[in-house]
Amino acid sequence: MKARRKGELLRVDLQATEAALLSVLFDDLGTLLDVGNTADTADPVLQRLFPDGYTDDDAASAEYRELVAADLASERSGRLQACRAEVPEGGGRMDLDAEAADRWLRVINDLRLALGVRLGVTEEAELDESEQSVNVYHWLSAVQETLVTHVMD
Amino acid sequence: MSTPILVPQQESAVSEEADELSDADRPWVTVVWNDPVNLMSYVTHVFMKVFGYSKDKATKLMLDVHYKGRAVVSSGPRERMEGDTATLHGYGLWATVQRDA
Repeated sequence: MKARRKGELLRVDLQATEAALLSVLFDDLGTLLDVGNTADTADPVLQRLFPDGYTDDDAASAEYRELVAADLASERSGRLQACRAEVPEGGGRMDLDAEAADRWLRVINDLRLALGVRLGVTEEAELDESEQSVNVYHWLSAVQETLVTHVMD
Repeated sequence: MSTPILVPQQESAVSEEADELSDADRPWVTVVWNDPVNLMSYVTHVFMKVFGYSKDKATKLMLDVHYKGRAVVSSGPRERMEGDTATLHGYGLWATVQRDA
């Protein structure tokens, strides 16, 4: 993955393997979000993506959830689908305007959060670097860092 | 018959109003908590994007989150804090609403 500013746009070039990997990850997260939309689930990934609104008030948290959960879920799925549709099949170039770049940052971050929960990432935890999913997590972190650096410049 | 039955009611009304005012003076806040996944640069970006904060202010808040474990990122009426919290949840940040301490 390479990224650079092109005027107002963020120009991102993806290799074929990177595009394929992102597509698989996006589809995985899509499946997970669909499950969350159709059933009550205690999946810790969904708990992390849709946290409580209050730390010590269950009633207020339930009300908050009632108020915002459906919108948050549909917006999150919408961002995911939009990014999924932009992945150049077989690799290639994306020119992202500010809005699209922000959306990509959020979706890549959702992937990192989901994978981070699955891998048990904490401030102290030593990750098993021989695990493929750990390498994917590190790669997503590098992608995120590159994108956000260019967006903030 | 000259017992001023209205006066206590007036006092009570006034003191209720005063309570409301002091509640308004002590507003609700949105707190962002440290988490092990979100990148420092991304958190800074989110504070700039969502609240329109300068890079300096956003960076300072991000460092508070990272090193102190939490930071108050906005304050105001409860409904607005729930809105800010929902926006931050949409960005994957771990945020909650609480009464200002």
